[in-house]
Amino acid sequence: MNKNDLTLEELLIAAKKSKDFTRIERSINGTKIYLSYFNTLVDHEIIQKSLLPYLNSPFLKNIDDISDKLPIEDITFTEDVNEIYLKLYKGHVILQNEHSPNECILLNIHNATLGLRQNNDAENEFSVIGPKVGFVEDLDTNLNLLRRKVNSQKLIIEEMIIGNMSKTRVAIVYLDGITNEQHINTVRERLKNLNFDIIWDTSVLEQIIRDHKHTPFPLLLSTERIDRIVYTLVNGQVTIFSDGSPNAISGPATLLDFFISPEDYYLNWVLGSFFRVIRILGILFSVFSSSIYVAVLTFHYEVIPKDLLGPLIESRANVPFPPVLEVLFLETTIELLREAGARLPTKVGQTLGIVGGIVIGQAAVAAALTSNVLLIIVSLSALASFTTPIIVMGNTIRILRFFFIVFSAFLGGFGIIIGIMFLLGHLFRLKSLGSPYIVPLYPFRRNSLADSFIRSPLSTLNKRAPYLRPKQLMKFYVKEMRIHKGDLNDEE
Amino acid sequence: MKTTIKEQYLVSTFFTFFLVHSSQTGLALLGFQDNISKNAQQDAWVSVILTGIVIHFILWLIYKILDEKHPDLMAIHHYCYGKVIGNCLSFFVLLYFLLQSLTVFWGYIEIIQVWVYPTLKTWQLGIVLGILIYYLVSGGFRLLTGFSFWGVVLPSFLLILIYFPIKYAKTTITLLPILNHSIGDILLSAKASTLLFLGFEWILIYYPFIKDANKSQKWAQFGTLYSTILYLIITLISFIFYNQEALQHTPWPTLKMVKIVHFPFVERFEYIFIFIWLLVIISPLCISIWACTRITRRLTRIPPKISLFVFLIMIVTATTSTKDFRSVEKISTITSEIGFYFIYTYIPLLFLIKHIKMKRNKSF
Repeated sequence: MNKNDLTLEELLIAAKKSKDFTRIERSINGTKIYLSYFNTLVDHEIIQKSLLPYLNSPFLKNIDDISDKLPIEDITFTEDVNEIYLKLYKGHVILQNEHSPNECILLNIHNATLGLRQNNDAENEFSVIGPKVGFVEDLDTNLNLLRRKVNSQKLIIEEMIIGNMSKTRVAIVYLDGITNEQHINTVRERLKNLNFDIIWDTSVLEQIIRDHKHTPFPLLLSTERIDRIVYTLVNGQVTIFSDGSPNAISGPATLLDFFISPEDYYLNWVLGSFFRVIRILGILFSVFSSSIYVAVLTFHYEVIPKDLLGPLIESRANVPFPPVLEVLFLETTIELLREAGARLPTKVGQTLGIVGGIVIGQAAVAAALTSNVLLIIVSLSALASFTTPIIVMGNTIRILRFFFIVFSAFLGGFGIIIGIMFLLGHLFRLKSLGSPYIVPLYPFRRNSLADSFIRSPLSTLNKRAPYLRPKQLMKFYVKEMRIHKGDLNDEE
Repeated sequence: MKTTIKEQYLVSTFFTFFLVHSSQTGLALLGFQDNISKNAQQDAWVSVILTGIVIHFILWLIYKILDEKHPDLMAIHHYCYGKVIGNCLSFFVLLYFLLQSLTVFWGYIEIIQVWVYPTLKTWQLGIVLGILIYYLVSGGFRLLTGFSFWGVVLPSFLLILIYFPIKYAKTTITLLPILNHSIGDILLSAKASTLLFLGFEWILIYYPFIKDANKSQKWAQFGTLYSTILYLIITLISFIFYNQEALQHTPWPTLKMVKIVHFPFVERFEYIFIFIWLLVIISPLCISIWACTRITRRLTRIPPKISLFVFLIMIVTATTSTKDFRSVEKISTITSEIGFYFIYTYIPLLFLIKHIKMKRNKSF
């Protein structure tokens, strides 16, 4: 934290400039005491019911009795001006007596939940099956939600204050004895060394502490779902919460983590694996479909079989533009729709979505701006990009699409493969909190493949991912496998 | 000279399999059948096996030459010949590696131009490929190992395509009569098939980058075995698919075989095949250039990024300097000739010299 060399006097004078600063005078047994606080930050009910009546009561003989007699939980004695400064602005009441004004008693009467929502349906990362409660803006609520799921002495919560203006509480959460020290230390060091004014959201923290600045890929997993965070913790990852943000971030993350939905684990493994494969295929389709369209129609129409070529040419017959312009036009339209959809008020949003999607699409074909086939391809790939369980990754996928379209417009199929090489080369370089980003694909880890493209039965997922170097490899031991092996084996 | 590499830059032992195998597969696989069948004709598959066996032996020699004290070629050269002569020899090896990468670079661009883009200029392709290689090689050896791994795993689905030539080739009579050629013919064909296996000698340079390198011989031998089996299969299938007469007049027999592949949604599969083949050749291409920069680094103080840039400029300009298609063939012949003598003469010689020197040192 930045040290300011204010004395207590100066601090109070500076605070007095604001209208909401309050200083009142009371006396206990003839000794004058002063109460100073910001009335916009404190809980008035507590002040009126639990603080002021007690100050006048006969029980209180001495000022030192306060900590015993007052029905307030968080009471500290201090002379440290920095601490006083910090706590005054976090809703504490400063209590001074006239004889020794530098010895302050700080009473925590912060109205922490004023103006914050109390609960949150995980709307951005929805799942049909499974719990639907998400994190909220209040840090303590979030940690409470977390503690409810993980009832263990291993769950450790560390706190720091970050941001020279916002003084935001940031919590580092991990499982002691499971998470590798190295990851925890990396997070601690990076948070300690960062300089920033206001921590708006954990996504800001993610951008500041990430390993590489110049990449479209999210390097730490950001989520509002409780089950997801618990899953990362149990696997031996480190989680960061920040006050005022309904998202927690977890690391070290890998590329595949972003394509895994908690719902995969709530369905049985056959269905879970199937949907996961569908999702990954959809994402590949989303990245490559429009660039393949450009490459094929610009350079290699020979690769299309005769019977398919006719309808394709026919649908494009009236379009006056080269394929790349056609694709860029339609892709930009879709991006526009998405962006508008995200910004519009919910009530208008749905109507406009229908107008945008159906009317504009049909009109564009009728006006010969695009072909029918391309309309299908682009809208399907837009749809597919939304199957990513983590929204940020969906954005990355859409950016990649433009990257490949540009490459294929210049060099056709060769351009696409060159683009893939650049992408692979980029992914091989990326690191998340110092661990490789595309593990288990490279460095190749065979035993981590059980929970990657497919989701194996839960009883086989009893090991933590070795690439996270957990201090305890086994999550649980499978005592007996109650698997029905078929009637032939039943002797009795 | 420092020869130990930091732990974080090392690659796991079993990656040696992929490094060795991917260095051996490459451009030569697309059109080697006409060369190797020139002498031994339908018996050339025996030559492939023969070469494979000899390569196993050479690989064993290389592992005998390298040890903890002298983990790469430059250190061996220093030990055997002293500083000046050793460095000169290392420089010649650098030139040979550079020639190898030029062959692959040029050959791939030629294939792209002949098969897919007749109108695209060489310099355009050259610059794009050059930038890609710069980006990848500057990522270091670990990244290249990743490419060699995925360059083996991903394209292995192309092996399914074997089904198509087998479907069309109704007879195996083209393989008969078996072994009616003289040993001389078979040896000449074996010499021609050496080109297929070239590339494994880069292990002389990247050996110190392998974790527990002295235990990696098993994987390296497996890699070579896999290459031999792969070449054997492809040789046999092309001998079944073509008759010997036709084979002699077909420039890229493997690609011609891929031409007959077609699916309901895709024709001219060889386009896709050629594009995916970039995945196969990119790792040997990058590793050979990386080996050049590594030698430069060990001999001089030039930083790798600069030497890499210079080498790439040299390769791209050499590629664009002539328009004659024959020159690719010429340079490939020269490279395989040099490679042939390098592995069959120079490596055994190095082995002998090193062991004589070791014995003499011991007796003192």
